[in-house]
Amino acid sequence: MLPDRLRVSERVLIADDDPVMRHLITTIIKQQKYEAVVAEDGRAAYRILQSDSDFKAAILDMTMPFLEGLDLIRYMRTEKRLMRISIMMITAEQDIKLMASSFSAGATAFLPKPFTPERLQSAIRMLLGNRHLRRIAA
Amino acid sequence: MSFEQIINGENQETPPLAPVPARVIRTTSDAVDMELLKAFEELQSDDGSDLIVELIDLYLKDAPQRMLAIREAALENEWGLLKRAVHNLKGSSANLGVRLVAETCIKLERIECEHSTEGVRKLLQQMDDEFARASEVLLSERQRRLQ
Repeated sequence: MLPDRLRVSERVLIADDDPVMRHLITTIIKQQKYEAVVAEDGRAAYRILQSDSDFKAAILDMTMPFLEGLDLIRYMRTEKRLMRISIMMITAEQDIKLMASSFSAGATAFLPKPFTPERLQSAIRMLLGNRHLRRIAA
Repeated sequence: MSFEQIINGENQETPPLAPVPARVIRTTSDAVDMELLKAFEELQSDDGSDLIVELIDLYLKDAPQRMLAIREAALENEWGLLKRAVHNLKGSSANLGVRLVAETCIKLERIECEHSTEGVRKLLQQMDDEFARASEVLLSERQRRLQ
């Protein structure tokens, strides 16, 4: 068995307070043969991340109750055990500045809503497909 | 939305998510972009469940709760809460092709609530009307898919 530091996780954290989005993303994650771990808001995601770092990627909504996506990214980028996790930010905001803020906080990819299923699928594939991926504006 | 508002094309100033011609009387078929909704067919899972039916069910359960939160926030003049709830409704509506609800949300996000409570009231009514129209289309599509 590989030591933990070399093993690639097959789990993805999804944090979104919108049940439609959660279901949609979870469906794609499962199609990609990954396990989806779902949080219904930013605080729930934070609690999971406090004790669990076994994730290949995290897909976070920008605007969530209690703790926003940007705050979660900042937390993840200050914790050594969470730093290797690729992060995709999803938002319904049309403000281009948010993309810059997400990348400067440490996001790997950025996907604005609304998006087509094809675009979402392709962004998730890219996120999961390349562990060294940096800065994708999907 | 009133008949006067419809024929006066009051939605012209809103940047559309998917263009809707101005000065056209809207019917239920305008309420949902079926092409966008049906695009989710490509994501159907292998277990035989219908993803589109599942998404419709989730949306029709969640959106009324969001709309209630929006109304409560408006009643209590909690404009920050209102904008947050509107933002959430906008995201799921836009992604499922419920474009007129999404467009109304954009108007609500942009309005200066403190200075236009009457404007907010009208938009809330418009949101209810558009949601009712969209629900009709979504339920019909749901029914069709389950047959």
